Amino acid sequence: MTFDPVAASASEIAQAVLVRDTTAVQVTEKLLARIAATHARLNAFTAITRDRALAEAAAVDAAIAAKRDPGPLAGAPYAVKNLFDLTGVVTVAGSKINRDNPPATRDAVAVARLRAAGAICLGAVNMGEYAYDFTNENSHDGAVHNPRDLIRSAGGSSGGSGAAVAAGLVSFALGTDTNGSIRVPASFCGIWGLKPTYGRLSRSGSFPFVDSLDHIGPFARSVNDLAAVYDAMQGPDPLDPACAQRPIEPVTPFIEAGYSGIRLAVLGGYFDRGGEAPVHAAVEKVATALGVKRRVELPVPEIARAAAYLITASESGLLHTERLRARAADFDPPIRDRLLAGALTPAAWYLQAQRFRTWWREQVREVFQSVDVLLAPATPLAASVLGQNTFIFNGREVPLRPSIGVFTQPISFLGLPVVAAPVHSVGPMPVAVQLIAAPWNEVALLRVARALELSGVCTAPVASLAP
Amino acid sequence: MPVINEPSICAEIAALHDAYERALADNDVEALTRFFWDSPEVARYGVVEHLYGAEEIKSYRKANAVVITDRKLLKRKIVTFGSDWASVMCEFSQVSRGKPTHSRQSQTWGRFPDGWHIVAAHVSLALTPWEGVWADYADRTAALLSLPLAAEHRPGVVQNLERAAAIAAPLLAYPLPAETEFAPVFTP
Repeated sequence: MTFDPVAASASEIAQAVLVRDTTAVQVTEKLLARIAATHARLNAFTAITRDRALAEAAAVDAAIAAKRDPGPLAGAPYAVKNLFDLTGVVTVAGSKINRDNPPATRDAVAVARLRAAGAICLGAVNMGEYAYDFTNENSHDGAVHNPRDLIRSAGGSSGGSGAAVAAGLVSFALGTDTNGSIRVPASFCGIWGLKPTYGRLSRSGSFPFVDSLDHIGPFARSVNDLAAVYDAMQGPDPLDPACAQRPIEPVTPFIEAGYSGIRLAVLGGYFDRGGEAPVHAAVEKVATALGVKRRVELPVPEIARAAAYLITASESGLLHTERLRARAADFDPPIRDRLLAGALTPAAWYLQAQRFRTWWREQVREVFQSVDVLLAPATPLAASVLGQNTFIFNGREVPLRPSIGVFTQPISFLGLPVVAAPVHSVGPMPVAVQLIAAPWNEVALLRVARALELSGVCTAPVASLAP
Repeated sequence: MPVINEPSICAEIAALHDAYERALADNDVEALTRFFWDSPEVARYGVVEHLYGAEEIKSYRKANAVVITDRKLLKRKIVTFGSDWASVMCEFSQVSRGKPTHSRQSQTWGRFPDGWHIVAAHVSLALTPWEGVWADYADRTAALLSLPLAAEHRPGVVQNLERAAAIAAPLLAYPLPAETEFAPVFTP
């Protein structure tokens, strides 16, 4: 029994557990020990569900011993952003205020589906307060450190999820993405991330941020895991009013199909400039590997970003109004000021942003008549240093935190599905490339992603954490 | 030592100040000019203007009709020194160019052979460092929503509103087709 679960993918762990090369309990104990040994350096976990994890692992091992199907993710250890409900754990959503809430009485729908698939929940991980963040410098729980360079940010707001996967503390993790909160940590940590179509995965049992823009999705170190975890969470859910009433469309069986027949193009114009050199080099590298020569542009993405900003401000301000009335002093100060201002947003701005969204959807739908997958940078820079406040964009010094989402925000604004594909060969730190498809076409993204993984251009190795 | 606040002198000054307020409300340039000491030594500072000597005050009054609505005296303090000197300090609110303001006025009065005149005066607008249209908006909207804005949180909120206004401007200016509806459902 020499199986090492740290660098193994979820599917490799499931296979090893199934053929009794190891047991789910052994995998769980090994990773719980790794979490404890590295916590002081990474600060990724905020709650470790040891008893739950060992019970889930024992149940998987018992199912295998009894020759019952343990599920496709049998024994695969994972963590969730601490805005997902876990039975018996307080859902803090990165805040101080929510610590006074009672523990959750049931699992989030996504978590319940992963449990049914045999996955093992090791705990909840750090995030930017109430998800209104891109660097995960949380004033209550402390900053998450990037496992590939501890002085750097893991990205936000799902920073703990990105760090836990990159550091080999778990085989996959769940995060949420409203304006980039899955794609930014995937880029900063150099791992795979999937933000599915808006409405594809149930959000019920997760603490919201912006109803019109919130998505949940997985992080992983392999495309197969990304697909398998996504498949395990699919399905309609009446508890989430945005969750589509569509049948499950599994993607895992198709990821080895190659990308022939998928029409690809690089997003030019707005998405082609401004970021640091490695960011655009990564897009070129992916385009070259796929033989993509075409470039297309979307009209006025900067206005789409403005509209996403205003919808975010207004909806999150309303969501937090009661907490702002009662406990304004207990918020992270910059987040409180944004939420208070958001609560005062004029209705005309919000409605015009939603009208623009309708119009822009039609423009982007036209683009997808002749192309299936678009390539664009995920972040305008590789992982920033913790405490950094500005960077150079388009030759100008700009504030860091509001600018990190410049390439992600217009895309999630329409709810388009995106895979963040990590590229490690363009600089000292990795960056991700967004693979973007029309709504409900996740399968095209995962086929392209798998081809990039096979080519060696996009990889997500475990970070070599010095002891 | 002169007698401070002799009641009959205080009454005289109060009546004069009331008359001055009426002249302002009526934009009675003749009367307003007469209240000031007719001397090169008189001085008056307005919110933006600095006037030295009776001639400058006179020509300023003629050139700048005062359009004041809703002027309300909020607080007035009169102090008299003997029978010939007095100071008047007051706070007032008014609507100036459509915008409600809170201001202060100070006057020094002296008695001359032809009666009382203002020998020095100064008007100023009460401002806080973050004052501006979004500060007003934040105060009023927060009050309407019963959302308390703590003094220490206010500057950050106003700054965020100013930033949002700059972000909203190109969106609001973008020419969308009239028939474009708000439709939050996204199917291909």
